[in-house]
Amino acid sequence: MEIKESINCKGLECPMPMIKLVKAIKGLNSGEILEMLGTDPGTKSDLKRWCDRTGHIILEINEAENGIFRFLIQKI
Amino acid sequence: MCLALFSGSLDKLTAAGVILSGAAADDMEVDIYVLLQAARAFKKEIATNRDELKLAENTHLRKEFIESLDKLNVKQWHEFFKEAKELTNVKIHICGLAGKIWGGEKLEDFIDLADDIVGIGEYITAAEEADIHLFI
Repeated sequence: MEIKESINCKGLECPMPMIKLVKAIKGLNSGEILEMLGTDPGTKSDLKRWCDRTGHIILEINEAENGIFRFLIQKI
Repeated sequence: MCLALFSGSLDKLTAAGVILSGAAADDMEVDIYVLLQAARAFKKEIATNRDELKLAENTHLRKEFIESLDKLNVKQWHEFFKEAKELTNVKIHICGLAGKIWGGEKLEDFIDLADDIVGIGEYITAAEEADIHLFI
């Protein structure tokens, strides 16, 4: 599984991680995978809701002990 | 989404910017109607000058509020609006009367994000047609 692009949203507060994500997804082609690293807890639920709405697929969700989470999202 | 933006206060404009960002992330079309107090905030010489904008609530905590915004790297209210416009179809309409009250007769008197100067009828139609309608 090739990660096409990675965005670092660590330390960014809502709504900036989502805005950064939307911009990054726009730059990808269908099927390509985006990695997102973040620390804002609100983004976790926002991202799931956004993917439900837009149809993009969450392939993986990992959460480290230090509060950093990592999402892999595939563009439809 | 239809947003009637009445307030020209820094806290409410920031809240409007955050809500707008959420709508833009969802690719919603947004019509913003800039009414009385907000029209002053949208004037070119005012928009980027935080010293000109008061808080709507907890006015005694203005300094702490601004320090917190900066510490958390929260964008300035007009930057949220700019970013939302880049992402989706956001139209910013200045109320003609409100503009005149603050000495803004022409579109050029307002920040570049403003699309046009309109009458109140346009707002009523947009509010009637929108699924989400907010007054801030």
